[in-house]
Amino acid sequence: MPGAGNDPGKDRLPGNQATIWGTLGLAVVVIVGLSAVRLEHQPETTRDYPPRPLIADGPAVMKPAPEIDDEYLPCRDCHTSPDRQTGPIPRELEYEHEDTELAHGNLWCLHCHDPERPGRLRLADSSLVKFEDSWQLCTQCHAKKLPEWRAGVHGKQTGHWRGPKEYQTCVECHEPHAPPFGTIEPKPRPKRPDEIIQPARISGEEQHGDS
Amino acid sequence: MGTPRNRRVKQAGEAPEPSGSSRRDFIKTAATVGAGAIVAAPAVASGFDFDLESFFQKNFRELSEEELDALVKRLSRKYSKKYGKDVSVSAIGPMDGVLYGYGLDISRCTGCRRCVHACVEENNQSRDPEIQWIRVLEFERSEALRGIDLKDGNPYYEHKEVPDEGKFYIPIACQHCEDSPCSKVCPTGATWREPDGIVVIDYDWCIGCRYCMAACPYGARHFNWAEPNVPAEDINPDMHVIGNVPRKRGVVEKCTFCIQRTRKGRYPACHEICPVGARKFGNLLDPESEIRYVMKHKRTFVLKAELETKPKFFYFWGTEGRS
Ligand code: HEC
Ligand code: HEC
Ligand code: HEC
Ligand code: HEC
Repeated sequence: MPGAGNDPGKDRLPGNQATIWGTLGLAVVVIVGLSAVRLEHQPETTRDYPPRPLIADGPAVMKPAPEIDDEYLPCRDCHTSPDRQTGPIPRELEYEHEDTELAHGNLWCLHCHDPERPGRLRLADSSLVKFEDSWQLCTQCHAKKLPEWRAGVHGKQTGHWRGPKEYQTCVECHEPHAPPFGTIEPKPRPKRPDEIIQPARISGEEQHGDS
Repeated sequence: MGTPRNRRVKQAGEAPEPSGSSRRDFIKTAATVGAGAIVAAPAVASGFDFDLESFFQKNFRELSEEELDALVKRLSRKYSKKYGKDVSVSAIGPMDGVLYGYGLDISRCTGCRRCVHACVEENNQSRDPEIQWIRVLEFERSEALRGIDLKDGNPYYEHKEVPDEGKFYIPIACQHCEDSPCSKVCPTGATWREPDGIVVIDYDWCIGCRYCMAACPYGARHFNWAEPNVPAEDINPDMHVIGNVPRKRGVVEKCTFCIQRTRKGRYPACHEICPVGARKFGNLLDPESEIRYVMKHKRTFVLKAELETKPKFFYFWGTEGRS
């Protein structure tokens, strides 16, 4: 590495270059002085901020459930015929919904869907709720998740930690028929040290090398 | 200007004195051996568009309200012009009664690195050369019982899908220590802890000596070896003076809990993007906050607790007994 002491061009400086170097030297001296002042000076440990009151908290609203785009909607198109097959005992679906892979504990469709109106979810007390209120169904069986979800700890809130926030409903992350979150594609990894191109050498060094 | 910078780098190898009185000695050394070197750093740091005004800038903590106001306006103008968009630089201060805390649920994190990239975009980190404030480390599950040693973590994992079988992930950025070793060793007072617990850097005062990087036990600080580069169209125009304003070559940077967002009540960018909801953020002084819920109901731990740096970044297992 070229050191300042063995500058090969030193003795051969033409006049105008000497002036340039002299000026630069002076500039360095000035900067040295100023920076020494900066170094010697100790700022306060923190800034003396004027008081700023805590901003108001806002309402927590639920993000609308993701829209369902399903060839089967509306459900009542088919589920009105009186002679269709139904029943509480799990069976292989052959005629329709054969793609609905149910892998949720050992639940059967009618643990959640109403047999008469499958477009509605049936809670334990037999009351029916719409798909968009499915969290009420989920948290009946997964009761421990309810307080955590409300607190923003299970699942996720977005928006403001202080101010209006939105939290996501269960089916945003869990497909009700096969609820594990599953795997996702990762974003690119960081560069390894050996892949980082050395920053371009700076002009000063090149000058030394050239002369 | 090139050689001094290299000499300065060599100097940085010498360990700083741990005691508070070292500053004076440091100055002496600076004045004799490496005066030109160390002192030229701010000039070198700013690369070829050396900005006199920022060199003469007082330390952020000592600016009067009027000076701060003028600074913010000047920077807003400067960057609006530079990037051709409406940049708004703020110096918004901490709120009373707020101490920030972060929680990360290791049982949920899938290692998808969405937080890493959201952070880069939000905080104007250099794209090339690449600077990333968050590193996601991959560990073997089978090793976890023996305790986590950060140096066993692999940040370079590549899989088609994550989480990979038998692995778990720990994202790491600045831990915002209460007893922050980084700020103690800074010879110029360019880094400190704010009243709301955010450890910040005054980029105009950073001389790039990198003592703080050596002092940080979490490897959370990053150095701009070359001129950072963010395409104008990717610049996030919502900036904070001691946050995501554009940096220059030769300065250190790190996570600020997205100070430009959080001081306005918003969640940090990494929190917003996390697809599994593994990230929790809020006011440790508010018993109703989600972070306090975590502290109360979950078993939390901090990294390298034995160093007693008192991080404000907590890790926890949201689910026990389920793999
Ligand atoms: C194209 C006609 C059609 C539409 C539309 C339709 N279904 Fe069905 N559904 C059927 C048939 C046929 C069966 C019986 C299949 C079998 O037994 O193999 C069935 C069975 C079911 C079952 C099992 C119920 C039981 O009683 O055993 C559920 C649950 C169900 N459907 C839900 C829905 C929901 C929810 C929708 C609306 C999103 C819907 N279906 C829309 C035709 C339809
Ligand atoms: C754990 C409760 C649960 C069980 C068991 C269940 N479902 Fe569903 N199902 C739901 C919920 C909740 C929705 C609404 C999803 C939404 O809002 O995204 C739904 C939606 C549907 C839909 C319409 C949209 C979609 O997601 O495909 C069909 C069709 C359907 N279910 C059929 C069935 C069939 C057939 C079975 C049995 C094989 C079944 N479901 C079992 C809870 C359940
Ligand atoms: C009728 C009760 C019931 C309802 C309603 C119900 N679940 Fe479940 N859930 C179960 C059972 C039983 C299991 C299996 C538990 C096990 O394997 O230990 C389960 C498992 C799960 C799992 C863990 C899956 C795994 O393999 O790790 C998730 C996630 C889940 N449910 C989400 C939901 C969501 C979301 C809803 C609402 C759409 C819901 N559940 C509604 C009973 C229910
Ligand atoms: C932001 C996404 C998200 C939301 C919203 C969410 N969960 Fe989860 N949940 C997860 C993740 C991630 C897991 C962990 C692993 C998995 O499912 O593969 C999980 C796990 C679970 C489990 C399995 C047990 C456990 O703790 O690992 C249950 C049961 C569950 N969630 C129920 C719910 C219910 C009920 C709701 C709504 C009240 C809900 N979740 C909302 C992401 C979410």
